[in-house]
Amino acid sequence: MEFKSKTFVYLMLLPVMSVVAFIVIYPTIGGIILSFRDYSIYSFGNVRWVGFDKYTEIFTDSTFLGVLKNTLIWIIGSVTFQFLLGFILALLMREPFKGRGIFTGFVFYPWAVSGFAIGLIWSWLLNGQFGIVNDLLLKLGMIKSGINFLSSPNMAMFSVILVNIWYGIPFFAIMILAALQSIPNSLYEAASIDGAGYFTKLFKITIPYIRPTLVSTILLRIIWVMNFPDIIYGMTRGGPGGSTEILSVRMINTVFYESDYSKAAAYGVIMVSILLAYTVMYLRLTSSKEVRL
Amino acid sequence: MKKVFLVFLFVLIVMTVFASDKVITLNLIEAFSSPWRTPTLKKLVGMFEEQNPGIKINIISPPYETAYQKINLMVSTEQPLDIIEIGDWDLSTLAGMRKLVDLAPYIDAWPEKSNFVDGVMKAAKTYHGIAYVMPHGLFAKTLFYRPDILKKYGLSGYPKTMQQMYDYARKLTLSSDKQYGFDFRGKGYPTSFIDAVVTSFFDDIDPENMYLTKEGKIIFSDPRAKEGLEFYVKLYKDTAPRDSINWGWDEQVNSFVSGITPLLFQDPDTTGMLNSMLKPGQYRTAPLPVGKGGKAYPSFGFVGWGIPTYSKHKDLAWKFIKFVDSPKNNAFWCKAYGALPIMKSIYKEDKYFSSGVFEGWVEMFNDKVHYQFTQYPLSNKYWGKWNGYQEKTMQQVLLGKLSIDQCLKEWTDFWKKAGIAK
Repeated sequence: MEFKSKTFVYLMLLPVMSVVAFIVIYPTIGGIILSFRDYSIYSFGNVRWVGFDKYTEIFTDSTFLGVLKNTLIWIIGSVTFQFLLGFILALLMREPFKGRGIFTGFVFYPWAVSGFAIGLIWSWLLNGQFGIVNDLLLKLGMIKSGINFLSSPNMAMFSVILVNIWYGIPFFAIMILAALQSIPNSLYEAASIDGAGYFTKLFKITIPYIRPTLVSTILLRIIWVMNFPDIIYGMTRGGPGGSTEILSVRMINTVFYESDYSKAAAYGVIMVSILLAYTVMYLRLTSSKEVRL
Repeated sequence: MKKVFLVFLFVLIVMTVFASDKVITLNLIEAFSSPWRTPTLKKLVGMFEEQNPGIKINIISPPYETAYQKINLMVSTEQPLDIIEIGDWDLSTLAGMRKLVDLAPYIDAWPEKSNFVDGVMKAAKTYHGIAYVMPHGLFAKTLFYRPDILKKYGLSGYPKTMQQMYDYARKLTLSSDKQYGFDFRGKGYPTSFIDAVVTSFFDDIDPENMYLTKEGKIIFSDPRAKEGLEFYVKLYKDTAPRDSINWGWDEQVNSFVSGITPLLFQDPDTTGMLNSMLKPGQYRTAPLPVGKGGKAYPSFGFVGWGIPTYSKHKDLAWKFIKFVDSPKNNAFWCKAYGALPIMKSIYKEDKYFSSGVFEGWVEMFNDKVHYQFTQYPLSNKYWGKWNGYQEKTMQQVLLGKLSIDQCLKEWTDFWKKAGIAK
């Protein structure tokens, strides 16, 4: 009987699983296979197996380490501040005040805009010559000559991260706000009776209570930010001189500039491997503490 | 009732079959669809269909960004196509598939052949000397300048040499905080901007290959390339906004229109945009400034039509190509598209193409001593990698992260590996 019911369960799962296989597993395997072949716009007529050639090409590229470093800076810079500011925003929005609904709507607005559009809009806002940001700073007398937001390597990285922070705060705010609203008020009341202050409540009740949400949100966010070339592509295309080129932007550049689909696929496989390793590690680290909660 | 219906259906089917037998549909795919250009193509198709009852042209307009890929895929899998638009950078891929018809017999039998602008046949035969494409528009960089802004700072005419251009640009830059000179291109295919300056320091560039001297030496290994590149960096540092290292076409045009940088190298398709943003006479074109070598080496970009080998209506496809490329229609097309017409007579007869807007090109075409058109190694396997690579290394030089010597060495090695040296 048990066997039969198990078969039944699998049978019922089959349609869903086949859809998943078709839209997730098939392209993944296809991508992996592609990375071992020589498939570029110049070799349509002669696609052949090249083994690890594309990977060797990537790992022996002298700029590859720089790209990894940029990716790391991009992720840490973006997610840390997205998280901190999103958290603060969620805490502020939890308190009832007049016009909270409208305010919440405005806060979530950046999240609704396409990343490429944001990149393009900000590249004009931050333009060193006719950007509105420079214009305002000049008129306010805060600077004497325009800041080269996107043309000096360090400023360029700073600028794209800044825009990404602006873009990503709402996501953290939404997730954390939802979690905050699930905390029973009685906990805070009890703590107040015991004489706990704001920060004691924050660290002893709020954060421990919403910990699972924080863990999963940060995990998700890091994966997304790593796979998120939109803003950088719209603002600098990885320039100047490769100073904002992260892995996902490099992958796009490989397709558009080099028309080398196999090498781009190899970059994709490298990204997936890094993220897989990271996810396993991250979940191990956080779940061991979860037990203590 | 049922019977009547069946008879009706039968008649309908017979009629459709019969009718479709009479009307021949040609499938045309365009590579550079745009809100301005596609309607012009549709108008031309309408005129052609009117003159040729029984022929219908079905236009396929994939989005610009993915057009090459779609065309390549359709041709490689022999999807029904009769006329393909071919851009210069896609030619070698399509030709390499061996699925394009050699158009030489058609072109040779066409009386208008003698009316072609120099360079048209060269463009047609880009791929190993076989005429796989009939160009319908040419592109070449020339100097755009703003007489009004130059006048404001006491400059007249236009710079004729690279050094003069630097002097003009330097004077403009020094004259005001918000004024610069040269409209620099830092990102998004800056290749031909860099090369226009660097090759002007030579006087012996191979007419078949921009990156070789006539002796077959890679130009980047020549001391003159160093001089040229040093000059290019100076142009950026002394006369262009710092920000322009991150400028593509949009920013260049914007800066030119606002007058911040009144000296710009650009292709003719920029005129469409400029005409809508500036008043007549606010901008003009002049030939590219010649460099220390006393010459300038512009390259022809081109777009044209090709016919796939598997098309069943090759003669009709050529009939259409001949129709849209005829002097009258080509003038109409190029005006809307902003390309340079392929027929000599158009430059003489059409006022628009002999106006101040086109002076630069007309003069360059007529002066064969100073302006020698050359070609990019477009059929080389490494060409695709080159643009991104050159852009990045050039930016690193501008930022001082890479020395000019090291950069030239890398560029030389790149083309050595690509095997262009003779």
